[in-house]
Amino acid sequence: MKKIIKNVNYKKSLAEFCKDASLKIKKLNVDEFEIYGASSTHNELELFNGRIDNLSFAETKGIGIRIFKDKRVGYSYTSILDNHNIEKCIDKAFYNSKITFQDEFNYLPLEEEYKNNKGVVDRKILFSEDFFNFDIKQKIQLSKKLETLAKKKDKRVTGINNLIYDDSLDEIMILNSTGFFDSYKTTLAFIYLSVISKEKDDTSTGDFFGYKRSPGEFNLEEISSNAVNRSVWLLGGKKIKSQVLDIVLDPFVAAQFLGIIASIVNADTVQKGKSLLKGRIGDKIFNGDFEITDDGTLSYGLASKPFDGEGVPKGKTIIFENGILKTYLYNTYTARKDKKFSTGNAVRASYKSTPEVGVSNFYLKPSKTSLEKIIESVDKGFYVIDIIGLHSGINPISGQISVGAKGLWIDKGSYSKPVKEVTIATDLLSFCKSIDKISDEIKFMPSGGYIGSPAMLVKDVTLSGK
Amino acid sequence: MINTTLTKKILNTLLKTGGSFSEVFAQKKEVNNIRLEDGKIENSSSGFELGCGLRLIYKDSTFYAYVDSLRQDIILNAAQILSAAVNETGEIKVLNLSNVYSSYIAPIKKHPSDITAENKKEILLNVDSFARNYSHYIIQVSSNLSDLEEEIYIANSEGIICHDNSTKVMLSVSVVAQEKKEIRTGYKSLARTSGYEVFDIEKPSVVSGEAARIAVTMLKAVNAPSGSQQVVIGPAFGGVIFHEACGHGLEADSILKDASVFKDKIGKKIANNIVTAIDNPAMPYHWGSYAFDGEGFPSQENILIKEGILQNYIFDYKTAKKMNKKQTGNGRRQSYRDIPIPRMSNTFLAQGKEDPGSILKSVKKGIYAKEFSGGQVDPAIGDFVFGISEGYMVEDGVVTKPIKGATLIGNGPEILNKIEAIGNNLDFAPGFCGKGGQSASNEVGQPTILVREITIGGTEI
Repeated sequence: MKKIIKNVNYKKSLAEFCKDASLKIKKLNVDEFEIYGASSTHNELELFNGRIDNLSFAETKGIGIRIFKDKRVGYSYTSILDNHNIEKCIDKAFYNSKITFQDEFNYLPLEEEYKNNKGVVDRKILFSEDFFNFDIKQKIQLSKKLETLAKKKDKRVTGINNLIYDDSLDEIMILNSTGFFDSYKTTLAFIYLSVISKEKDDTSTGDFFGYKRSPGEFNLEEISSNAVNRSVWLLGGKKIKSQVLDIVLDPFVAAQFLGIIASIVNADTVQKGKSLLKGRIGDKIFNGDFEITDDGTLSYGLASKPFDGEGVPKGKTIIFENGILKTYLYNTYTARKDKKFSTGNAVRASYKSTPEVGVSNFYLKPSKTSLEKIIESVDKGFYVIDIIGLHSGINPISGQISVGAKGLWIDKGSYSKPVKEVTIATDLLSFCKSIDKISDEIKFMPSGGYIGSPAMLVKDVTLSGK
Repeated sequence: MINTTLTKKILNTLLKTGGSFSEVFAQKKEVNNIRLEDGKIENSSSGFELGCGLRLIYKDSTFYAYVDSLRQDIILNAAQILSAAVNETGEIKVLNLSNVYSSYIAPIKKHPSDITAENKKEILLNVDSFARNYSHYIIQVSSNLSDLEEEIYIANSEGIICHDNSTKVMLSVSVVAQEKKEIRTGYKSLARTSGYEVFDIEKPSVVSGEAARIAVTMLKAVNAPSGSQQVVIGPAFGGVIFHEACGHGLEADSILKDASVFKDKIGKKIANNIVTAIDNPAMPYHWGSYAFDGEGFPSQENILIKEGILQNYIFDYKTAKKMNKKQTGNGRRQSYRDIPIPRMSNTFLAQGKEDPGSILKSVKKGIYAKEFSGGQVDPAIGDFVFGISEGYMVEDGVVTKPIKGATLIGNGPEILNKIEAIGNNLDFAPGFCGKGGQSASNEVGQPTILVREITIGGTEI
């Protein structure tokens, strides 16, 4: 007999909300259901000239419900967690299922699909106990210190463009009608610095970031140095004449290109005819013997999770081996269509979205050649420090790549004059074939997953300038 | 949404131990999104949100907290915690609150909540069949139909109360065409701050047909040229050039951080004297329009550039106060979870005098950039890019071969002085703009314009 308790709902835990919702759904005539719950304690801090510009904090919870009925799926989410609104959310999800298509592959993961991925994630790697040792004052101190360090590094630094600190403690939970009920917690801290430097008439900006499980792990020296260097090195930069040449991509730029490759090994994209890698399993896509992996179990991977957005354990999947495409990345729905098993790549941006195919820790295995040696091997080229317009300049479906770039000219194996206001252009498949060398140091960045790449030497790219 | 007594209590609790300004922003929102792909309705989702954000300004610092509830105890608890961020003597007490009014009138005829899921499904299935029937080269059509209804309540310590509601609908269509190994795409969207009545006036099939036409046209595209070119930029979404080249640099937060190339330029000539540029959130039904901004300030036209001379920046409450200027109604926020910041709304280059045909005819050798994929800018240095998704060669005044997608790159102040002709065919296009982690519905616009010289990032030297 359930006691009717007055609405003290906000004190309920995420698990209690999920269980309440499941009891309500069980009263309806649905085939299957899944409740995805997320709660977050979030802090954000923006600094300017040594003082707080913005400081924001919140504790939030939300649930997203998938209802399966007659092989159709409907979805609804709510952050209004009281009885009436949870019921309204459930009803809407059920209503939404009535217009979606009927597909034999629309059902929750089966037991055999849960067991496929062998990797086991040690849940302790997902959060840092040290995270809880930092109160807001210490986060402010840390951010102020970063600003002070940056301003001292070079007298041409005139100001800070942006200094943002952001952290969250999150709990993710899935409860479904096949009996799956599990959750995990994560801590993440992010700090971003963009500096402005000036010399004569020229202004330049450069940025860098830190992304860790706890603010205590940030290397403020490294972040401030890199942000300042990436700014001052470009002072006096000019547009140069259009030409075809070899380019060396900074690891973070290379990672952004790798992110585009991630989108075309997505089984959903392939099955819909939107990937240039459709039908190319077994083909050598890269001239180099490169190895690209998606590993949701990586111990230092910030996108690691014990299970994916549908509850399937995360896997480690080698997508490219020796430059050859071995497999696509799957969730359960797309895997069933290809008569394969899910690779544990169901991703949800938040409780507001349904699980779609996405990457976790997606990286290119580095070589044993240093970046210095690679630069030395370039007689005439362009070292790209940063690109602009990634989203408007790359069409992953047609493969067209044309983005703004800035960086340093390479002359006879050494860095030389700064270059800006130019573009680099090629097409995606030519890009893959033209990666000639990669360096020995991998750098990761958050970019729809946690993407890691070493620096890349890419031959014969068109640079447009004058 | 929150009664006056409680409102005063919240505002005063926030200012208890100091601060110059407090505000409560409550929002109730319902969204629906239906996605069609592969000839079928793949996904139908809905969302419900309710919450409020509390803001406290102390000297130059903004303190903010938000909760997913409108319960009195939860809000007051958050207000207490927030007020503890300041530790002084509270000087301001809110005694009177009065309603603000906006002259923005845009009645809704067909509320999304009155449209059945079946009706929405019909719209998408029509989009699909129309695009596929356009050409046998079409291999994929994806389309999203989304709508939003929200109710907003804002009150602040300056004594205003604002009640607002908003309805938006958006239909976007992406088409993929393939011929042998070439895969090309086309995209078009229709989005309004209105109800479903928009689809009675502007047919979904027209949107679908345009996206299909672009994808099929691009199958014949040749490599885009590389280097400096004369460029004719088409109307509507071509306005993204101004949004990136100038718009962001005029947002007052960049000016105050000394991170804009347009600092100290009010009253100065920053563009060719045929250029007049406006930001106006008060245009009924336009995608970036609203009755009140995210701080409860009524929307109004803001002339940014008049005949080449810079007139004004884009302000929110905080930046206007800091620079001792009037608010312009551009303090926007994505939701109650976000702090308002200066944002553009509907930003466009005003109608010119030239005939667009004549503009094209005047180009001996150049590019006609007709449709765009978006852009980006670094306001501190003024370098910006925007991507061409449908473009053509222009040879002896005639539009000839389509060119593959390429990015145009330029520098804001330089480009404004290189706008040589402005057409008389002003039109608008919807989009989303991202800034500070917040997405805002923005519209851009312009007539056909001629830019003397801009770098195009093609592959053909």
